[in-house]
Amino acid sequence: MKIPVDVSVVHEGERIRKEDMYVELGGPKVSSKGELVRVRKPGEIRDGNVEVEGPDFDKLKEGGRYPFAIFVEVAGKNVEEDLEAVIERRIHDYCNYVEGFMHLNQRYDIWCRLSKKSYERGFNTLKYLGQALITLFKAELPIIEKIQVTFITDEKKVEAFVNDARKIYEARDARARALSEEEVDTFYGCVLCQSFAPTHFCVITPDRISLCGSINWFDGRAAARVDPKGPNFAIPKGELIDEVNGEYSGVNKVVKERSQGETERFYLHSIFNFPHTSCGCFESIAFYIPEVDGVGVVHRDYIGETVLGVPFSTLATQTGGGKQVEGFLGMAIEYMRSPKFLQADGGWNRMVWLPKSVKERVIDDIPAELRDKIATEEDATDIAALKGFLKERGHPVVERWREVEAVEVPELEVMPVGAPGGIKIILQNAKIHAEKVIIKKIK
Amino acid sequence: MDMGRVIAVSGKGGAGKTLLAALLVRKLVKTGHKSILAIDADPDSNLPDALGVFVESTIGDIREEFSVEQSRLPPGYSKDAWLESKVFEIMVETPSFDVLVMGRPEGPGCYCAVNHILRKIIDSMTGGYDYAIIDAEAGLEHLSRRTTQNVDDMIVVTNGSLSGFNTAERIKNLANELRIKFKHLYLVVNRANSSHEKLILKRVGSIGLEFAGGIPEDANVAEYNLLGKSLLELPDDSPAVKAMDEIMEKLSMQGGK
Repeated sequence: MKIPVDVSVVHEGERIRKEDMYVELGGPKVSSKGELVRVRKPGEIRDGNVEVEGPDFDKLKEGGRYPFAIFVEVAGKNVEEDLEAVIERRIHDYCNYVEGFMHLNQRYDIWCRLSKKSYERGFNTLKYLGQALITLFKAELPIIEKIQVTFITDEKKVEAFVNDARKIYEARDARARALSEEEVDTFYGCVLCQSFAPTHFCVITPDRISLCGSINWFDGRAAARVDPKGPNFAIPKGELIDEVNGEYSGVNKVVKERSQGETERFYLHSIFNFPHTSCGCFESIAFYIPEVDGVGVVHRDYIGETVLGVPFSTLATQTGGGKQVEGFLGMAIEYMRSPKFLQADGGWNRMVWLPKSVKERVIDDIPAELRDKIATEEDATDIAALKGFLKERGHPVVERWREVEAVEVPELEVMPVGAPGGIKIILQNAKIHAEKVIIKKIK
Repeated sequence: MDMGRVIAVSGKGGAGKTLLAALLVRKLVKTGHKSILAIDADPDSNLPDALGVFVESTIGDIREEFSVEQSRLPPGYSKDAWLESKVFEIMVETPSFDVLVMGRPEGPGCYCAVNHILRKIIDSMTGGYDYAIIDAEAGLEHLSRRTTQNVDDMIVVTNGSLSGFNTAERIKNLANELRIKFKHLYLVVNRANSSHEKLILKRVGSIGLEFAGGIPEDANVAEYNLLGKSLLELPDDSPAVKAMDEIMEKLSMQGGK
């Protein structure tokens, strides 16, 4: 059976206009559509077989829109279930190699068109499409030893198929959400914002989405695979230096290179010492509130002043620009859902203030016992009120106030002013009251 | 797949760039072309009106929708593919051409990632047509950041005034600064008065643009604009339409496929 049209990568990006289309399969105007790849045992597959359940191209009315499902089953010694999603993504690529066939989107949202021209040239059965897919899968992914393809156009059957497929997508997503830094050996970097902050770049891990909230670890991986030298690139994570802070040798190496020497190391899950830098594009800012020894969060859409008495824009100036500024961290709101969310600083136990709309968005991810202990703008708009609120509700940070009061301040070793390298004084968890601070050159 | 030709039309507001873009589409349609994409990349203009098309959503709308949706999309769901499908969804398809509107500029917040993805999508999309005609704002904002860098030719439209020529020169310099490499940089003079042709040619020569012709004052155009009528319906013997023959020839866009 010879496919009557050309099948090649040159047809990728070919646009089939409404006027030129023979039929549309799936798409925004059709409710039932979907595609799925499943890994099977070799004995369960009739290698090379293509089935069509429901009317084929020659039985469909020209110009119509129809329900559509693509079901690909594969087997091979090294084909594991984990690869299903990756193989499934190739359906899109390979369908688009077929002259006069267009494929958009994924999962339960696929949208295909067949051109009149290709239909007239004899592409009148889905069997040709199946044949093209089988040939391409085997040629491009040699780990696939056996493959069969089923197309469904019968509405009821597509509906049932998609219902079952949804359960598989959900299981996959649940696995993906549970993925942690420990389970992978590669993180991803993103320099899309470097035109705004040349020394900033984002480190994206399964536990840490980009600051803008747009690129998660899976997006980074997908982009780096397509274009490894592009704005998203792989970062071998290297040795784990500090589990609590989230410091990795591989990350630090890339930090030095990509920040043009500006920054030496990143703590991925702390707002102190060596926090992740920020471009200017972050969805929200976590900021340290020394008076209560807690952390507040404000997002870009928040109008008015934060509990610090300044609005988002003022804090953004402090935070952005690719500089490492202790006590300020640009982050995605989604990061608040991470199990490692500021884990070095106490995570949610340290969170004392955030806008009501953000609190509502992440409420399910706030430990139940803390939900009514974290203030919003309705509870406190200044530090005094915040202090009162935290004390009254018994917020965990209140315990820290006593600890701090009892702590002995270690002697500071002060290097002479003007010595090479300068000095860096870090006062963490410190409460100091001074009438005057005088720094004099030692004679 | 053969890459098509991408032509951007730019000029100061009111200079007549939307008119020229619409007349280019009209001419291509009339000569039998079927693979044409018209992009409205100027929030202040109204290319869809001039083409008699109603466009419901814009790329700007997708960008805003994405900023809300991105955290709801499942982890294994490709954002690029989602965005690509959205772009196709908002496109208006007529029998002979498609229309895409860029829409309002972005609000506050980070659009680096989404713009990067959209640029890839739109670049690859414009390449899928025989002709893509872009109605671009004078600041070239979309060219430098959003729409596409794959523009083959730029046509600057100006009226015959001194300030019009200054604008043309500015656009040319801006294109150089942005390192946009055009195969040709043309100039078209709108509401051209033939008695000034010599003077105009001299000015054009001094700023280093290729002169592609003039569009005369046309009462039909003014009337159609006022009535909100599609410029595609202009009669063949309307002065502006007739002037397009010469311009098309200069642009080497003659003849249908």
